[in-house]
Amino acid sequence: MKEHRRQILDMLSQGKISADEAERLITALDKSNGADSPVNGSPASAAKAKYLRVLVDSDNAGDPRQGPVKVNIRVPMQLLRAGVRLTGLIPPQARDHVNQALHERGIPFDLSQIKPDNLEELIDKLNELTIDVDVNNRKGHGDEKVKVRVFCE
Amino acid sequence: MIPLIGVVSVRRWPRSRSFRLWVPLFLLWLLMLPLMLLLLPVLFIVCLISQVNPFQAIATIWGILAGFRDTHIEIDNGEALVLVRIL
Repeated sequence: MKEHRRQILDMLSQGKISADEAERLITALDKSNGADSPVNGSPASAAKAKYLRVLVDSDNAGDPRQGPVKVNIRVPMQLLRAGVRLTGLIPPQARDHVNQALHERGIPFDLSQIKPDNLEELIDKLNELTIDVDVNNRKGHGDEKVKVRVFCE
Repeated sequence: MIPLIGVVSVRRWPRSRSFRLWVPLFLLWLLMLPLMLLLLPVLFIVCLISQVNPFQAIATIWGILAGFRDTHIEIDNGEALVLVRIL
């Protein structure tokens, strides 16, 4: 385990990989290690997601005035938890209005059903979420390649 | 634990002129504390009118503030890099 980590750090120091790639490799290494030797009995609890990551990589080849755009966002899961708990602060009358509006738009969802237990389950499921989007846009002088990655770590 | 420090860093390429601003959020919380205490009765009245548990409201607001800790936003457009971190 330590040997693999050292190899990654060596590759980083030699400039073979970027800091972001090194971070991703170390996270993957930690995850695989957690899955091999679960601490609390279940591998899922061992590797509980702490952050939601959004990575956007665009080469912007279509617009020569702009360089490549890179976005790296890390949102703590704690913030998502607190955000969902905000629904508990919606006054009952307003909640009824929201539920009614959702039903009218064909979304059969009841906001009062969001409970802390459901929330934990939802966040646990987010752990397995990975969204990869690759887009090639024909724009201006060339093709613009955009890569979006959303995952939990 | 609520965030205590915010870091805003801006770096411009290729001159590599950069600045880094450390924002002492703990001072902001200290300064806002008297204001929050003054606003507490107002919050309670608003919560009672809207039939919301005021303690739950305070816990949620605290949770959101605490949730911002460890947030990391980095945007690089090839000419400049902007980094916002909340610690």
